[in-house]
Amino acid sequence: MERSRKYLLAVSLVLLALLVISIVFLHYKAYLLLSLIMIACIMIPFFARFEWREVAGREVVLLAMLAAIAAVGRVPFAGLPSVQPTSFIIIMAGLVFGAESGFIVGAVAAIVSNFFLGQGPWTPWQMYAWGMMGMSAGLLRNTRWMKTLWGKCVFGFLWGYLFGWFMNIWIIVSNIEALSWEFFVGIYVSSIYFDLAHALSNVFFLIVFGASWIKILQRIQRKYGLLEQQTG
Amino acid sequence: MGNGIQAVHPFVMFFYYICVGFFAMYFNHPIFLLAGCLALIAVNFTHDGGQAMKQWAPWMIGMTLLIILINPFINSRGTHIFFYFRGKQVTLEATLYGVVTSMSLLMILLLFISLNIVLNGNKLLFIFSRILPKTAFLVMLSIRFVPLLKRRLTEIQDVQRLKGMTITQGTLRERAKSGMSILQILLSWSLEEAIETADSMKARGYGLGKRKPYIPYRMNKSDKRWLVYLVLLFTVCVVGGFLGYGKIIIYPALGTLHLYLLDWLVFVSSLAIALFPVFVEGREQLKWNYSI
Repeated sequence: MERSRKYLLAVSLVLLALLVISIVFLHYKAYLLLSLIMIACIMIPFFARFEWREVAGREVVLLAMLAAIAAVGRVPFAGLPSVQPTSFIIIMAGLVFGAESGFIVGAVAAIVSNFFLGQGPWTPWQMYAWGMMGMSAGLLRNTRWMKTLWGKCVFGFLWGYLFGWFMNIWIIVSNIEALSWEFFVGIYVSSIYFDLAHALSNVFFLIVFGASWIKILQRIQRKYGLLEQQTG
Repeated sequence: MGNGIQAVHPFVMFFYYICVGFFAMYFNHPIFLLAGCLALIAVNFTHDGGQAMKQWAPWMIGMTLLIILINPFINSRGTHIFFYFRGKQVTLEATLYGVVTSMSLLMILLLFISLNIVLNGNKLLFIFSRILPKTAFLVMLSIRFVPLLKRRLTEIQDVQRLKGMTITQGTLRERAKSGMSILQILLSWSLEEAIETADSMKARGYGLGKRKPYIPYRMNKSDKRWLVYLVLLFTVCVVGGFLGYGKIIIYPALGTLHLYLLDWLVFVSSLAIALFPVFVEGREQLKWNYSI
């Protein structure tokens, strides 16, 4: 554990130094490189927390299983374009098991599904977007807002759009000198339909299956006393 | 273990991908980028004869052409004007910028195609297990569950089809609903199984004492030599790029595209890095065929 702590510290320092160097010295502004480094810098503390926390074997396996289900969830929906339950499963994990678990399930689901669909420069962006989705679900789970069905649906709908908007940024960043209002608006307009489908399918799943999934997950949580002590 | 590029230590390969990915975003001279793209295409051919590249080809060509064609029309910066389109100037600078951007993006995509072949699951996780051991363990477990869950899914789907629940028929609503019911069955089945897996892990001593990663890859002499080779050339390229070689000024007015002697030095060393997998394979072929 001590060794990995040192590794992590070193990695974060190196990344920070790289960031400063590239801003100050690089004449040609490598925005895609910078954005990837920044995303890594932002995500490192979340993974570090998971590394340092004492996690029981059962909890690790449970998180791995949830991430795998979120990744495999695309399979039965292969015939339905742009309907995929991954976001719904990640939101459920965040709601029941808290912010940290939500982040881990989201980020790992992105890595795992990309092992089968192909890694690319979009992997870190997906990890971040899905991780944040799970984390925000965990952070808001004790508010009155999220206890109502309507609150959850609004949350799912917003995240359908936020996810799409965030994934658009990687296309824009890799092409930033061309940035003009036409380009910016064009990218966002062309994704409206996909984002809407994502948002609506989130709402649909939350209405029809939200209650039963929470019940199943909470039953496992109570039965085996898993991941309970942390309050989101 | 395989041979050729598959036998090179993962750290060396990882360093190679970092170098090439860095170059794709560091240099912006069209000739450098074109050479980089061609080198990576050659690398992909040595892997599997370009099989994986073929699947992505339509998408990559489409995207490249789209950027090259669209950029001059939505971006009117620059001073060398070709002609006016709907009152907006179409400039040489914007055209060239589109070419540079699209090639840099193409290079990154080609790089990832090669990475998916060479640094497959185990090797990538081996690299990260040294930095983030617990997360890598979690990812490894999760990857192992995916084929298992797929098998279970077909089993559940077969049973449910007999009961008339299918996602291939009915309205969108019905299909989405039955798809999710199948997932829900999978969830309640697999969560219980997960606890059993965890208990059997515990019974075998998981969590007692420190975890040490199994190290299936050892750095041998030739790995170290290759690493030195890459580091030296990488340093040359970074220093050269820092001094402005291999880069051109596009905005506001296009600078010279002429390559000076030192430009060629940087060019050759960056190409020597990008072609590293081809050299490894070539050496292997020579050894095999002519026993040199």
